Amino acid sequence: MKKTLIAAAAVTLAFGTLVSTSAHADEWPTRPLTMVIGFNPGGSTDIQGRVLANVMEEYLGQPVNVVNQPGAGSAVAFTRLANNRDQGYTFLFGGTTALTFTPIISDVAYEIDDFEYLAAVAIGQNAIVTSSEQPFNSFDEIIEYGKENPMTYAQQTALDEAIIRAIAEEEGLDLAIVPTGGGGGMAPLVLGKEVDFAYSGGTHAQYTPGGEMIVAAFMSAERSPFYPDVPTLMELGYDYSIEDYRTIIVPNGIPDEAKDRLIAAAEYASTHEQFIRTTEGNTFFPVVFIPQQEMESSVRRIRAATEEVMGD
Amino acid sequence: MDFSIVGSAIGEALTLDSFIGIGGGVLLGYIIGVIPGLSRSVAIAIAIPLTFYMSPYIAISFLIGLSKGTAAGSAVSAILLNAPGEASSAATCLDGYPMAKNGRPKTALKIGLLASVLGDILATIILIFVAIPFARVALLFGPYEMAAILAFALVFIAGLSSGSLFKGLAACGLGILLGTVGLDSQTGMPRMTFGYTELMDGFPLIAVAIGTLALSEMFLQAERLRTERHNMSVKINDNPDDRLSWPEFRRTIPTIMRGTGVGTFVGALPGLGPSVASFMSYGMAKRASKTPERFGKGAPEGIAASESADNAVIPAALIPLFGLGIPGNVSAALLVGAFAIHGITVGPLLLREQPELLYSIFAGMIVASILMLILGWFGLKLFAQITRVPPHVVIPIVIFFCIAGMLLQGYGGFGLIILLAFAVLGYLMKKFDYSFVTFLVAFIITPMLELNLRQSIILSRGDPMILLERPIAVFFIVCTILALIALAVRTVKVRKPVAEAPAD
Amino acid sequence: MARHSFWSGLVVIVIALLALNWIIPGYAGSNPFAQIPPDLVPRLASWLMLICGLCIVTGAVYDMVRQRIPLFNSNIDWPALAWASWPFAYVALATWVLVYVKITYVGPLIIALLLYLLGERRWYILVGCSIVPVAMLYVLSVYMMRVGVV
Repeated sequence: MKKTLIAAAAVTLAFGTLVSTSAHADEWPTRPLTMVIGFNPGGSTDIQGRVLANVMEEYLGQPVNVVNQPGAGSAVAFTRLANNRDQGYTFLFGGTTALTFTPIISDVAYEIDDFEYLAAVAIGQNAIVTSSEQPFNSFDEIIEYGKENPMTYAQQTALDEAIIRAIAEEEGLDLAIVPTGGGGGMAPLVLGKEVDFAYSGGTHAQYTPGGEMIVAAFMSAERSPFYPDVPTLMELGYDYSIEDYRTIIVPNGIPDEAKDRLIAAAEYASTHEQFIRTTEGNTFFPVVFIPQQEMESSVRRIRAATEEVMGD
Repeated sequence: MDFSIVGSAIGEALTLDSFIGIGGGVLLGYIIGVIPGLSRSVAIAIAIPLTFYMSPYIAISFLIGLSKGTAAGSAVSAILLNAPGEASSAATCLDGYPMAKNGRPKTALKIGLLASVLGDILATIILIFVAIPFARVALLFGPYEMAAILAFALVFIAGLSSGSLFKGLAACGLGILLGTVGLDSQTGMPRMTFGYTELMDGFPLIAVAIGTLALSEMFLQAERLRTERHNMSVKINDNPDDRLSWPEFRRTIPTIMRGTGVGTFVGALPGLGPSVASFMSYGMAKRASKTPERFGKGAPEGIAASESADNAVIPAALIPLFGLGIPGNVSAALLVGAFAIHGITVGPLLLREQPELLYSIFAGMIVASILMLILGWFGLKLFAQITRVPPHVVIPIVIFFCIAGMLLQGYGGFGLIILLAFAVLGYLMKKFDYSFVTFLVAFIITPMLELNLRQSIILSRGDPMILLERPIAVFFIVCTILALIALAVRTVKVRKPVAEAPAD
Repeated sequence: MARHSFWSGLVVIVIALLALNWIIPGYAGSNPFAQIPPDLVPRLASWLMLICGLCIVTGAVYDMVRQRIPLFNSNIDWPALAWASWPFAYVALATWVLVYVKITYVGPLIIALLLYLLGERRWYILVGCSIVPVAMLYVLSVYMMRVGVV
């Protein structure tokens, strides 16, 4: 099913380029745009980004080309974007973690103030998952079980590790934390019951419909509409959250006209049926529209909160 | 096995898109295979960027079709030019070229093609029937088993490398060292990246592969142009003797069966590769023959033995890949990279998560074999013409595609510099006889091995007794130790012949 | 052969020593809490290279002494060496150019010039072989992959 959709998307994309409309000839943009994606083709950001490019192209009347610049969870792409002087013709679509978290732990050549956050169109997913064959199936039960037994947890980033480590200390758990090679490496560990619970940044969407994996809690600030019964860590009384927004990001100093047009295109996409179908239906990311002002403050607030967690 | 999934998978393999994708792959592979010096891994490394916009199933089938095509195509230049398209067809030269010289080039080509296709289809069927049960067992494997198997594969590959043992191990060490560059999986801190953000995910596999395999090979060929300029391709005439008769072909069938068996066995073991298989099969055919004196003078069995084994290796090498997620040779390692680009983690979980994808790939592989037969049979004369393309025309075009492939990846100028650096490294390794295959496989396996080792140590909380519950892991640990002992014994023994080798 | 082994083994030793004394301590990082710290695997690999390099050099010295091969080759084939190294220089130059100009624009020139240097003089081959691959790249990048002109 997923495959056919991707194939269909690829075909639509190929034809989309051939049929470029020329309705807004006098308005910005006057030449093709480039959307940068900081991950390899095939991941959730790439799938969403390619559809978004397609929809934005429809609105802006110029082709929106998609370029993958993978590496270090988008840090490579942000490094290049910070030095980009393309007057808004090059923008990035992706999560904000590379800005709110990566600069804290590693030495990267960009900072949060190098960019403007035009609009968020989807909310990132950060879940704590476990296998349905385990003797527990909610976060409280995990904690209860952990007070009696030694537990294991599979991390994916230093951030989720820090949060879980803090919770384990509060609750007095005997917890061993193992590294995984991302979502693909996490799934076999959870399904094979090698670890008791794990972090998932979206991979769970493949396994929860079949009932093999269950989401115990969300690390995000709000519940997911696709798992309405699953509480967030905040609701459970732990003062931690990982927030991540799939945002359209440009380097500082681009003309206002370009910004306005890009924001308008993003708003158009957030109500577009094709984008919603792919983002919500395939990847289980809720589609939203968060305007620039709110995003600018959100990104800085998340960064401050993350620094606090990592400072422990 | 759910038959509706199988049905829809086969349906997908029979669509027009998939025919175009697979057929394109086989055709491109055939052409690249015919050109001497462009090997299977070179073809895959250059073609990976082509698959970016394809759906995962088509992309993988395209690449597998490509590798099958190269195996069949390399026989053409072996027979007509006496220069194998790649090393694995070197054994085909022994009888193919004499047969072509004797005025029967078409017969030789057809025997080679039929042996290739038969070996291919049979090995693909074996793959399907072995990989699925294998993957079911492997689903129970955790980090302990994976770490043990990866360690075994690494030692095994290092030990089997051609040439000097110490040079092979040194290449292995360099592969491990470079494989650890990038973010440390546990702390998330950069390791040996020298402050370059681009290196945080390690050296990009595509740059390493295209550099050490394709670009360095072009430099070697350009160097060779200084002394060798002209090729002597045997012309295909319409000779009435030059027809393959059924009785003649029938006599080669037992040889093909044996060759397929050898190829499948060798292919499924990590690190051995198609050259070993084809020479082993050739040797066995000669020993089993009642008229061994005919070998080397144009015996059809010689061609059949080498080609069937060569082609059987390709599907067989996918057994550890689909079953365990471990690449057994360089082409399989490149396929891992291709899968990753399409967001798929190859391994036993594939059977569980995306069975239809796996079945589609299997169906696509059978389609590829059939298309290979059709293309090879009717394109015989056309492919024979390609052997006349001089290398000095091939080299600039391949260099261009190496660079373009890297740029398509989006790494920019930095990627090109890494590409060139690895091309120089690959060139020097080939020149000084350091096994670049060992280097590449070590480079690819190291991150997996380190991660699984870490997971095992953390999960066991440092208690080795946990291994008592893990008989499979123990088995592979014992195998690794035995392989290490065998290596040590070989080291002591091998010293002598090397000392008596002639000077350069 | 033995001389080849000697010098290449020496290079292996140098790389291993560089890694052990400079790269790993300076850039591999550390994690005192981990059972496998980040620098363990690189260190093991470097030691493997060091030991192998020593074995290669020792073996080569043994062979060279027995067969009386001098350490340096007195008659290096300079023209051959020059011929072997110019393609590297060419690609390095092309890399430098490609940092500033897109490959779709200079690609034909890069191919044609290399063809010419390799001895091709027929104009139709020069033109055909340089235009067709670039046209294929253009179709692939602009229409199929949608990454724009690379």
